[in-house]
Amino acid sequence: MEIALTPALSPAGKAGRYGLTLLLIVALAVLHLALGSPLTLAAQWQLLGTPLAGLNDYQTFYASWPRLLMALLVGLALGVSGSLIQQLTQNRLMSPMTLGAASGAWLALVCCTIWLPGLAAAHGQWAALSGALSAAALVLCIAGPRGLNGLPLVLAGMTINLLLGAITAALILLHDQYVRELFMWGAGDLAQNDWHMVRWLLPQLWPLLPLILFAPRPLTLLRIGSQGAEGRGMALVPVLLLLLVALWLSAVAVTAVGLIGFICLLTPNFARSLGARTAADELLYSGVLGAALLLATDLLAVLAGQGGAGAVPTGVAAALLGAPGLLIFSLRQGNRGAALARPEPTAAGAARAPHRLLRRLPLLVLAFALASLCWLPGADGWQLAWPDALIWSMRWPRTLVALAAGTGLALAGVILQRLLRNPLASPDILGLSAGATLALVLTALLLHQPLQQNGAVAAAGSVVVLLLLLWLGRRHRYAPASMALVGISLAALLEAVLQFALTRGSADTFTILGWLAGSTYHVSGSQALWLAAEVAVLAALTFAGQRSLTLLGIGDAVAAGRGLSLGAARLGWLSLAALLTACVTSLVGPISFLGLLAPHIARLSGARRLPAQLGLAALFGAALLLLADWLGRVLIYPAQLPVGIVASVVCGLYLLGGLVLLRPRRRAS
Amino acid sequence: MKRTLYRCLALLLAIVPPTLQAQTVVRDDLGVHRFARVPQRVVSLSWESTEQLLQLGITPIGVAEGDGYRTWVVRPALPAASRSVGSRLEPNLELVAALKPDLIVIGPTLQSQLPLLSRIAPVLLFDAYRSDHDNAAKAKSVYLQLARLFDREAPARARLHALDRDLARLRTSLHRHWGAGAPPVQVIRFANSTMAYAYGGNSMPVQALQCLGLRPASTAPGLAWGIRSTPLLAMDAWSRDIVLYQQPFDQADKLFPSPLWQAMPFVRDHRFAAMRSTWSYGGLFSIYYLADAITAAMLTLPAGTGAAEPFTRPSARDCVLAAD
Repeated sequence: MEIALTPALSPAGKAGRYGLTLLLIVALAVLHLALGSPLTLAAQWQLLGTPLAGLNDYQTFYASWPRLLMALLVGLALGVSGSLIQQLTQNRLMSPMTLGAASGAWLALVCCTIWLPGLAAAHGQWAALSGALSAAALVLCIAGPRGLNGLPLVLAGMTINLLLGAITAALILLHDQYVRELFMWGAGDLAQNDWHMVRWLLPQLWPLLPLILFAPRPLTLLRIGSQGAEGRGMALVPVLLLLLVALWLSAVAVTAVGLIGFICLLTPNFARSLGARTAADELLYSGVLGAALLLATDLLAVLAGQGGAGAVPTGVAAALLGAPGLLIFSLRQGNRGAALARPEPTAAGAARAPHRLLRRLPLLVLAFALASLCWLPGADGWQLAWPDALIWSMRWPRTLVALAAGTGLALAGVILQRLLRNPLASPDILGLSAGATLALVLTALLLHQPLQQNGAVAAAGSVVVLLLLLWLGRRHRYAPASMALVGISLAALLEAVLQFALTRGSADTFTILGWLAGSTYHVSGSQALWLAAEVAVLAALTFAGQRSLTLLGIGDAVAAGRGLSLGAARLGWLSLAALLTACVTSLVGPISFLGLLAPHIARLSGARRLPAQLGLAALFGAALLLLADWLGRVLIYPAQLPVGIVASVVCGLYLLGGLVLLRPRRRAS
Repeated sequence: MKRTLYRCLALLLAIVPPTLQAQTVVRDDLGVHRFARVPQRVVSLSWESTEQLLQLGITPIGVAEGDGYRTWVVRPALPAASRSVGSRLEPNLELVAALKPDLIVIGPTLQSQLPLLSRIAPVLLFDAYRSDHDNAAKAKSVYLQLARLFDREAPARARLHALDRDLARLRTSLHRHWGAGAPPVQVIRFANSTMAYAYGGNSMPVQALQCLGLRPASTAPGLAWGIRSTPLLAMDAWSRDIVLYQQPFDQADKLFPSPLWQAMPFVRDHRFAAMRSTWSYGGLFSIYYLADAITAAMLTLPAGTGAAEPFTRPSARDCVLAAD
């Protein structure tokens, strides 16, 4: 591992780094005080000894000062927590938010606000905290004791995250009027109206002290352990304890100020690139740097808010600053990249032969397609009949779109997972769907127009992301990690812009949420036909070129040895996956999970070779999306659930079941 | 002979194509529509149009999100006979078709479904809220267009006159309580305990204030939909104004007792009051409901606090509800 091999900086350099950062914090704090309060610095100094008099005194004492302290505390907690998680999982793209802390808190708060509004108003922080901790505990239970520092934890975290996210999205969509008071929290806001939250947060941060004292030793052992044989690793108890502490710290921080997750991911990476090498150094320096970063972002938010653009949540500023930061950082890092790529998990269900399933799956797809055409509830209860002309014209585009979109996303998933040799790669991880959505939301925000499903704008967004990916890819020879960084940065940026749009409180909220859910509702017949044609052409191309993809999936050396031009082949496959995603996303919005899951199901069903995996995944994708679309129209009739949300929940539950069921076998092997 | 003549005339009338018969011409955001008959079975897929239709005494057979309407828009009451046909964003078109409507009224979000919808029945599209038109004037024109379509223009105009009289009554009670004038008024809705949305120009609450002869604290156009998000620290801009907040606000217990809030000049000087929950993105009559709620809130405040601005008598230019 390259980190351990790099020589540590001299003690003097280390002290200088800490000194400079602390100096920066002081400077930022002074600036924050000067700009964030109506009083001058001198007047604030005098305020220390005297009783409060005018409104400005109250504003300074009860809003500006607690806000400053909050930024420092939360930055510290998030930095340390992020570093801890990244060291434990040996994965620099992980953060507590990846393990479900934020999505758990968000879901709990939304549920509480909808069904127990009184409790949410009075004790919302406890609801959020218990949500974050329950989600994280669930992730730990699913990962199992042996999966705590490996792929199972990552998979479980992603699954829970997406599942809870989808459920929350559905709840917000169905009850949007009830949860409007939460959008500001959802965007991550440090604004305070008294010392209440600071006083709440401060005692919750006590694990920081023992952590910094006792964590470095097991963390160092863990680094050495990961270099050695797999089984020699760490004792379970310290790892579990450290994980719990990290999750606790991020949970209380999120509870206090809302969803500012990006700092967690960013800070440890910056800390490492600034020279923090040892476990103790990285942990401590991440904390200090986290405080500085959050303070800087909050300063930006304060300034932007005074610029007449209305209130700007800190989380938005964090992502606006952090997303490009992460990108530039990844550029400078070059090919040493992040440790996203991991060995593929063993296919536990490989006993079944693929060909039997291949024969049955088309029947399943046909059955679902027929159900979505002629077996749906009507005005007078369930109806099983071939639709008349009018109803037919309403139903067939949706069925066709579900079929084509499912196929397209599944194929894109297989391509990306083979290409990047990464079982977690999917179209949304590359940021292609995020790019499309971001383009739409930004257009609506900047032009002050209602958000509309504009295929051209969405496609343009995807193309921009693709160009960015290609440019980055050329510089880094399409290294998996830098590709993933684009996706992560864009997803964070998108999340921030969306939350910002939501906090503006306009009635467009509703439309934005609807688009985000991923829906086949607004697709017209001709659009459906176009999508089907596009997907068919791209699928044909995929099957035609599968030999080079197989070679790329095995390894660079093998592929090059067989006379494959690596750069050109990667460029081609990346473009193909991007095109598939752009076609689907511009029409139905982001449908996460499917592109990730379908290739896995295909492999778990025994498809080892690429053609079988492509075929099975495409059929699974189509079947899943057809089922999700049908369920979405049936579950809460006459209202409908967007297909993207249903698909996420269905896939999430499936993956969850798979993770739990497969665990005993993994242990036995 | 005469009888034969009558018969011929009747026959002639019967075979005259419907386009030549008496037609109602209605203008919406798609253009001009001609209706030969008064629609009997209406499906309304936006809350604004549902409100306007109910106000005209038309009960739609189907509405989008009926339960949500009953919770948030509330007035005028939606009869139980109206069937809910799904969400406003994605209403169930199959159910709409099954109701066999002869008119469908939609908002701009469903524009993409026009081809399908117009196969079911004639469609009227009203884009109620835009930053580039006067929302209140638009609400009035939609109301009058719908009144013409349903052949209720005379009663609709009578309702408007009655509303003008009701507004005068509200003004009188304000005058009785406040005397010659009151400080400018800012209507807000809290986003959470550190931020509020302030209604500005081209919003219904500001229109309601103008109809009451009160001076709005801010008529600068909002950033979107007539509102502007305002953090706690910027609220000292309203130091001289009356601030009315729309209920519900769940975190009231968290914010109101805090020392900072108590130090706000409008709180300290008793120029801060709650306004009962009223839908502020509604149709024409929501302006009156808002005015009613504002008046009720203003009457709870002690008179004579703050620098009073004299009451004005609203002209048709400031208030769409004022008689021309």
